[in-house]
Order: sequence, then structure tokens, then C-alpha cells
Amino acid sequence: MGVSGDHKDTARRASSDAQLTRSLYIPGSSWLHRLHPLTKLSYAASTALIVFTAPGGGWSAAVLLAASLLLGMLNGLGRPIWSAFLRLAALGGMLLAVHSLFNPANVTPLVTWGVLTVYREGFSYALLVLTRLAAALSASLLLVFSVHPADLMLALAQAGLPPGAIYLFGSPLLLLPQMQARAEAVLAAQRARGLETEGNLLQRMLALFPTIAPLIYSALMEVEDRAIALEMRAFRSTHRKTSLRRLDDARWQKVFRWAMWIAALGVMLIGIWWRLNG
Amino acid sequence: MSLSEQLKKDFSTLTLALMAVAIVLNIVVGQVVSTLKLPVFLDSIGTMLAALLAGPWVGGLTGLLTNLIWGLISDPVAAAFAPVAMVIGIVAGLCAKYGLFKTWWLAALSGVIVAVALSIVAIPVRVYMFGGITGSGADFITAYLLATGRDLFGSVIITVISSNLLDKIVTALLAWGVVKGLPRRFSARFSRAEKVISVN
Repeated sequence: MGVSGDHKDTARRASSDAQLTRSLYIPGSSWLHRLHPLTKLSYAASTALIVFTAPGGGWSAAVLLAASLLLGMLNGLGRPIWSAFLRLAALGGMLLAVHSLFNPANVTPLVTWGVLTVYREGFSYALLVLTRLAAALSASLLLVFSVHPADLMLALAQAGLPPGAIYLFGSPLLLLPQMQARAEAVLAAQRARGLETEGNLLQRMLALFPTIAPLIYSALMEVEDRAIALEMRAFRSTHRKTSLRRLDDARWQKVFRWAMWIAALGVMLIGIWWRLNG
Repeated sequence: MSLSEQLKKDFSTLTLALMAVAIVLNIVVGQVVSTLKLPVFLDSIGTMLAALLAGPWVGGLTGLLTNLIWGLISDPVAAAFAPVAMVIGIVAGLCAKYGLFKTWWLAALSGVIVAVALSIVAIPVRVYMFGGITGSGADFITAYLLATGRDLFGSVIITVISSNLLDKIVTALLAWGVVKGLPRRFSARFSRAEKVISVN
């Protein structure tokens, strides 16, 4: 995790968070970072809805992709978004290759190399799917890069999500690094006892149970302790709890969130109508 | 028992703690298996365990949340497959409810049922959102089938079922073995585990 130590408090908070949880969050204080988590969540969700349901090809996806990239670059997230896109490159290359060459709808040849012919129909279809995916991905990256998971949990709790649901979202984030460390310890211990974890397929298959069984059993055995610990802290209490974190919201953001949801649902309905009658 | 009473009973504090652990198990066991380089994923072992111990609703929600959290912490593409993970939990829980996890061969059969059921949701997501390609090794099967003249939908059906069948059978067998091996003191806390443990 890259911590830019320009702000001492941010850096300290980030390093302690990095030990506690593993997430894609990038600490910062840009305009985007300061927006309310629900505004960014609504943006990501409505983008996904519009991109996959809008009528008339990939124009809406291309516009939303450009908007998300611009927002990311203006708020110092251009580089991480770009490196996330590079990981998508394998999918993109495969998508373009498979559909340009083998899509059953292919009729118009574009280029021919030897036995391989690139067709127009498959190529434009792959491009459409890729634009949609890139648009949905970039909007969700804006959310996960600029919102600390704890802030997202708090925002959802304030919006009325029950404490049980918040616990199910938040607790795994804290548990994950502990359990990963335990998995490494189990693997090392079994190797020290002579378990073959790098041999042929049969040996690796046989190594599966001794490596994961201790992990699963020890995790399950803790379930009861965790439940008791929760009950002791009045987990089921319906009283309003005070949080150490504070979220800033603004009237325009509330209006904007509603507008995005209404627009997305409208586009979806038009898209359904268009597909039924088009 | 009415549905709301059943839900209240299913989602006790103990069950919530189980779900949180099961979500983490999905992710961590998936990572361990990938370091062993095995031809399975096992990234739904926690979901199946939760389903066997606490029923289809708990199993389904565990699967759904696993992929949403995955999307939040490492790979937004995983969130698109959250409904698929939910189906795995629901179907495994229903199989257990109707006694299909009593013996090892019934558990293997449940694995097959889960693999077929998840395909019903996974195929439209894969075809419509991803154009049949998801950037994994299984894409080569899709490409080969398309090249031999099958349509996209048919190719994806074969790809999804063939790449999931072995994984879900192994996962179901492991989940059955783990629940069978749990101390009675623990499994007695989960009334639904009785369906897996008891012989008749």
C-alpha cells in the first residue's frame, strides 16, 4: 500500500489501518475523498445499471467511462485506476481475439492473416462489452479507492441498515489478515513436518486436507467465543450508538444521489421498452 | 413456524459470527488452494459449511456477501458474480435440508446439483455482461468451442459446467467431512447440522 506521508495524521491512520484491514483504499484528502460515501456508492451503482441496460449501443457507457476517468485523474487517482485497467487487459485481449475471430455472427471480414480473419461484427461486439465493463469498473474503483471501508459501514448504518448486516460487512475485513497469517503458519508447520506441498498433482492433492482442515476447524471453534464477545458488548441492543468517525454530507449531494437513482431507473425502463419494441 | 420466526431463529448472534468466519474462510482457503496450484478453487467452502450448519438463507447470504466484500477489497469483477455465490449457498442448504448430505456419495451428488444450479445464474451473467469471457483459463474452452462452430450461449454452458463440476464436488465432500468431524458439543449448537450427522 503506497502511503504518501505528506500529512502526518493521515499517514499514521493509514499505516495502522493497513495492519488491521486489507483494502483498496488509498488515503487522501481530495474533493472526491471528501464526498459522502453514499454519493459515491450511488454513482457506482447507477453507472453499472445504466451501462448494462441503456438502449442504443455503447454511447452511454463511453460517456460515463470518460466522466469516471476524468474524475479519477482530477483527484489524483489516475495512476491506480490505470494499473487496475492493466489487470483487465488479459480479459480485454481475450475478448477481442475470441469474438473478432470466432463470433458466430461474423460475416464482414476486416483483415486476414493467413488462416485467421478478423471480422467486423465480433470486433465491434467485443468493443461494446469492453467499454461497458471499463465504465462499470472505473466507477466502482472511484468508490473503493476513495472510501475507507469503515466510513462506508458507518454511512450504511446511518442510512438505516441493521447492525447485523453492518457486522457481516465489517468483521470479515478485520478478520482477514489474522486468518491469512494463520493459514501461512499452518502451511509452514505442515511443511516442517515433511508434508509435500510442491510435488506432483497427486502429492499436492493429498496436501490439501492437512493444510486446510486445521484452518477450518480452528476458525469454526472460535465462532462461539466471538458470539459471546458480541453479546457481552450489547450487540443486539437497539439503542443508537455513537461513532468516533464523522461523515460530512451536503444538501446538494442528497439531491444528486436521488437524481442519479431516478435517472438510472428511468434509463433501465426505457432500455427494457426499447428491447421489447426495437 | 412462520417465515419471520424461522429467519429470526436462523440469524442468531451465533449464526452471524459463523457467517463472518465463513466469509473469511472462502477467501483464505481459496488463496491457500491457489498456492498449492490445484485444479479446483474451493472458494465456496465457507458458504457450503454455513449452509450445512445454518440453512439455505444463511448460506446464500454468506455467498452473496463474500463476493461483495471481495469486490470491495481486491477485485470489483467478483461483485458481478455475487448472485452466483448466493445460489451456491441456497442450493447447498436446500440439499442438506432434504437429507442430501447424509453420506459421502450423496454429498458428491449435491456437489453436482450445486454446479448445475449455479450455471443457471452464472451463464447469463457471463454471456451478457462479459461476452462469455472472464479472463481466466476457462476462456480457452469457450474459444475452442466457438471456433468449432457452436453459438456463444452453448459454448459458455459447457465451459461453466465443466470448470465448476469437479470444484463443487470436492467442496461438497470437504464440507460434509468437516461437519461430520466437528465435536458434538459444537454441532449441537446448530440444529440444522443434525440433518448431516444423523444416520437415519
